Amino acid sequence: MVRFEDVVLRYGNGPEILKRVSLQFDPGSYHFLVGASGAGKSSLLRMMYLAQHPSAGRVALFGRDVTGLSRRETALLRRRIGVVFQDFRLLDHLTARENIALPLRISGQAGARSDKDVEELLSWVGLADQMDALPPTLSGGQQQRVAIARAVIGRPSLLLADEPTGNLDDRMAVRLLHLFEELNKIGTTVVIATHNESLVQRFPHPVTRLRDGEVEIAGAVPPGTAPATHTVSQRGGD
Amino acid sequence: MAAKRSRQAVPLDRDSSGRYLPLLVAIMVYMAALALAGALSMSKLAERWDTGLAGALTVQVPADPAADAAQFAAVTEALSATPGVVAVEPMDSGAITALLEPWLGDAMLTGDLPLPRLIAVTIDTDAPPDIAALQARLQALAPGSLVDDHQRWLDRLLDLARAVELMALVVVVLVVLAASIMVAFVTRMGLAAHERSIELLHLIGAQDSYVARQFQNHALSLGLRGGLLGLVCALPTLYLARMLLQRIDSGLLPELNFLAHEWSYFVLLPVAAALVTMLAARVTVLRTLARLP
Ligand SMILES: Nc1ncnc2c1ncn2[C@@H]1O[C@H](COP(=O)(O)OP(=O)(O)OP(=O)(O)O)[C@@H](O)[C@H]1O
Ligand SMILES: [Mg+2]
Repeated sequence: MVRFEDVVLRYGNGPEILKRVSLQFDPGSYHFLVGASGAGKSSLLRMMYLAQHPSAGRVALFGRDVTGLSRRETALLRRRIGVVFQDFRLLDHLTARENIALPLRISGQAGARSDKDVEELLSWVGLADQMDALPPTLSGGQQQRVAIARAVIGRPSLLLADEPTGNLDDRMAVRLLHLFEELNKIGTTVVIATHNESLVQRFPHPVTRLRDGEVEIAGAVPPGTAPATHTVSQRGGD
Repeated sequence: MAAKRSRQAVPLDRDSSGRYLPLLVAIMVYMAALALAGALSMSKLAERWDTGLAGALTVQVPADPAADAAQFAAVTEALSATPGVVAVEPMDSGAITALLEPWLGDAMLTGDLPLPRLIAVTIDTDAPPDIAALQARLQALAPGSLVDDHQRWLDRLLDLARAVELMALVVVVLVVLAASIMVAFVTRMGLAAHERSIELLHLIGAQDSYVARQFQNHALSLGLRGGLLGLVCALPTLYLARMLLQRIDSGLLPELNFLAHEWSYFVLLPVAAALVTMLAARVTVLRTLARLP
């Protein structure tokens, strides 16, 4: 599903943010990506949703090398990827409902039925009373939930969530991670970047740890749980 | 969304980048409307002269008090005998006055202007007589006689009409060019102002054409509004010009009386302006986005 081979990333002429990262997330797997602030989690995800090209190395998504994709192919590939951005990136002039429906509008799936899906999802994330609120009038946690709903509305094959629970209380955080599990059960590959390690420990999913731009721990499965279908390798090993 | 109108993903109606676009389009449509009116009336005038004078000669016999009626009769007879001449019709002074009136206005003709005697000659356009030979023969019968087939004059008038039409076309082309450049500029401003929203749209799978649609729809509505405003301003101007021309009441000047299908050209101007605006916006967005990495 996601495959990095010796990926190096530097912004401009800056230092190497990621140094020869190799990893693979299999279809249908559920991964946590952890690491200190500044370790490069968001940068790694940015390459997965094609917002950033690697400075060196190869990135493949859905079994397909993503270098040299046309703009059209890139757009169509992105429709299969749901992203929760660390800074939410909601459109401030659209209501919560319209923000969530945006991926459907873009891919031409909007309609009466999807309107109902949007409302159901909004209720599910606890925003039934805020459907027509504009993002600037919502709290950080509420905005984050809108961002999460927008990422999952299109039932993506790959869900990339960057610190999706940062602004949520523990109860809501667990609820949303369960939402991701439900998606995972119907086949979505889930990758969650977070530095909330106590939350990570509550779930039996493999953890990939980044440290100083390198994969420090590759796909460690918490003790007492069955190994998931995944492989993660470091420095071209494996 | 089909039935429910939802807000644009890119909130172009909320920023000031397009605020002056309708006004500028209005000015352009106004100028284009005047150019069109000029070209149309000029070509109608030329047509009127052309059909009015085809197959017609005018023979002018000087108003010489010493010359007698016999001389005039000799000229008339010679004309009738010329092959290629279909009809010969001497004009009485009342007819001459009537003929000249639309050209010079009736004020000029009330005095005792010594008018030459005129003979209207209709010729067979398929086998016209030799004008130069005819002129020589009539000169011999009545010195000072002139045969005028109006052709030289008519050619110049047609040249003028064509030049005016060409100028109008140039004006329209320039107006379209200026409008396109302006729209491109405004669109680029909009693209820059909404860079982050557009980036987000791309990240969740929007194609360039989706973004272009946002801009072109907005441009279409601005262009249409501006175009209608321009037309609404142009109509009173044309009406005023028409009134002023009618007051002069001379057939030499063009008229601004348009037929129904000619009026429809004017109605098409705002539509055309809106389409040009829309197309320019679309092309600008697609070209700008295609240059992105
Ligand atoms: N656009 C950019 N231009 C230059 N440097 C950047 C850019 N984005 C990130 N960086 C740098 O890359 C490094 C990794 O940043 P990144 O955002 O990937 O970290 P992170 O693991 O997501 O951190 P956090 O947990 O705080 O979100 C940081 O040192 C940061 O300064
Ligand atoms: Mg981050």
